[in-house]
Amino acid sequence: MHSTINRAQNVFGFFTTVCFVVAAIIAASDYASPRTPKATLTVKDVQVVRGRPHYYSTKKEEYANIRFSLSADLSTLFTWNTKQLFVWVSASWPDPNAENKTALVNEAVIWDSIITSPSADHLSNIGPAAKKKLIRSAKGKSVDPSRGKLELKNQKPKYQITSPKGIVANTENVVLKLHYNVQPWVGPLTWTPQIEFLKWKKVKGGVSKAFNLPAIKAKEDKKKATPKANGGATGGKKVA
Amino acid sequence: MADQLLEYVREAAEGQIDFEGQRLAEFLATVLLSVVGAVSFLYGYFLQDIKLALFIGLGGTALTLLLIVPPWPFFNRHPVKWLSEGGDRAGTHGITVDGKVVG
Repeated sequence: MHSTINRAQNVFGFFTTVCFVVAAIIAASDYASPRTPKATLTVKDVQVVRGRPHYYSTKKEEYANIRFSLSADLSTLFTWNTKQLFVWVSASWPDPNAENKTALVNEAVIWDSIITSPSADHLSNIGPAAKKKLIRSAKGKSVDPSRGKLELKNQKPKYQITSPKGIVANTENVVLKLHYNVQPWVGPLTWTPQIEFLKWKKVKGGVSKAFNLPAIKAKEDKKKATPKANGGATGGKKVA
Repeated sequence: MADQLLEYVREAAEGQIDFEGQRLAEFLATVLLSVVGAVSFLYGYFLQDIKLALFIGLGGTALTLLLIVPPWPFFNRHPVKWLSEGGDRAGTHGITVDGKVVG
């Protein structure tokens, strides 16, 4: 500590140590707050249509468009250390030709969303007007658990799904599942728990009833279909 | 002239402090930064606000740097007592070793 530079180096060195220890304590404090997520997933409408993966593709594939309703309470996942929450709904189904007829070997994501905590609103990837509205919605609160309450009714899926073979029509025993990933400010990433640990519980519900994917919509039906159904069938990435 | 100016700048940049001052500086650095860390966590945890914890931590560290890095006068309150000039001649300081006058 004999010179100015020496003192600066020593103080900075201890500062980084203090930073690390405080961050570790903050991350550990997350395990002290309970997590009790609940969710109800219901399938509203399913359609299977033929389409191409992109405009210039010669390959034709079948795509399933699964509309669903989700009612979830993920508010306990938001603590002072939560930066954002990533939630997604996936459709999974077993392979009927496999030995194990119940193992859900196929899984495809149909919808996802990033939910930021008020402390991270300024980092969200949305336009300036929407961002201002989002920041104002938190009204100076540092934690807003209500962000974790989701009420989606007859939600259009973000992604139409297919299987590697390109065939999904008439698939049986499909279930929708809710998953989440909590991204903290400091600490490890954590996902939907498979086992209960201390005060962190598994998602209550979060799995829909099993349903089947129908056959491909015949062409005559398509002409008679209501504009709303058509909008659902042709909206999205694929081209019919 | 330029040499003397450079010497002056060099001394100012070095910011030397005496040994008691160094001990105090080390002690203050450890205590202040630990307190800053504890305070920032406690405030953040009980107010559930991570941005506040971060600002308290950074602010406290800036204050600590301001208090310890510059060579303040209170770090120089116990200057080293060097021996006076003429130390090579025996008998000028009254130092005896085993009964023999050496310095």
